[in-house]
Amino acid sequence: MIGAREREREPGATLAAELRALAEADARRTPMDALLEAAGRGELDEDRCFRLLGRLWTLKRTMYYVYGGWAMGLNVNEFPPSVAYLFGKQIYDDSTHEMQYVDEILRRGWAPTQRAAFRHPYCAFTPATRLAYFVFALRALTNYRQNIRIAALNLGAKVIELAWLERFGRDFPDARLRAIFAGQVPETRSHVLMGRLIVERCVASAIDAGLCRIDHGVVRQNYLFALDEIAAAVLGLAAPAGEVVIPKD
Amino acid sequence: MAVATLPIRIDHAACTECRMCYVVCREIDLNAVTIAPDPLHRFEIDTGRCLYPGCTVCLMYCPAPGSIVEAASGRSLVPPPPEVWTAERRVARRAS
Repeated sequence: MIGAREREREPGATLAAELRALAEADARRTPMDALLEAAGRGELDEDRCFRLLGRLWTLKRTMYYVYGGWAMGLNVNEFPPSVAYLFGKQIYDDSTHEMQYVDEILRRGWAPTQRAAFRHPYCAFTPATRLAYFVFALRALTNYRQNIRIAALNLGAKVIELAWLERFGRDFPDARLRAIFAGQVPETRSHVLMGRLIVERCVASAIDAGLCRIDHGVVRQNYLFALDEIAAAVLGLAAPAGEVVIPKD
Repeated sequence: MAVATLPIRIDHAACTECRMCYVVCREIDLNAVTIAPDPLHRFEIDTGRCLYPGCTVCLMYCPAPGSIVEAASGRSLVPPPPEVWTAERRVARRAS
């Protein structure tokens, strides 16, 4: 609980708690839970597992594109050095997770090489998808300050990711994949905690807080849409690439 | 032509986890360096895929002395000993 004196000293603390609670409400049930239930019923065969890892790998590796933009907009001395350090750690961790997914794809022989995996329909990046929309919207936050975009990602999408990763790491039937998901939990939890720290310490003005709330809502929504697309692609309810039909109007 | 390989491993006490070995091994499509699924996420060498001493690319790029060793003898291969620099010990890129 945050006391009144604490709240006065660190107005970001209230905001961090508020943002995290909103994302935790989203995380109670995500589209990924349908996958976990299908896996529990034995409906995730090799091909569907390949689809799952292929889409998750695509999501993770496109974060390089996001972080590259964000890093360019991280100005020296705008924040304490710890903010840049934590961001570096987050890039490294997400890179590890990306590598784990493609490692497993190669290990199981679903693709002979990483080069071939890039070209496979399950792993290909397609612009007109919800996954791409999530990534492009994050990349657009390059024009925002680091505290705001970290609030949106680490206390939004990362909180939701942590929830489904914990469930997959506990209940996914395939032992090797379960170990991969479980192994990613500590780092993802660390990202959520560093998001809380940065919002607590570095979001002070009402304008920044307002921007955090807006971007947080957008990122959460886009992430859930991307998860929905991934789940549909894995279960065969949509094309693996997950093309989005854009209305004419 | 089959080439005899010698198992090598990563010495985690010396490794900095900079990932150069992983990157260059991927670049030539051998994919012998992998990340363990446990929470420490340490790098390992898949001896089923590694072609050492036929390929020594990871040794050339590794910046941390002593971090890649011969599994049997424990002999450090970083920096690479002179004999691994010979021309016949270069591996061609696999066709993708």
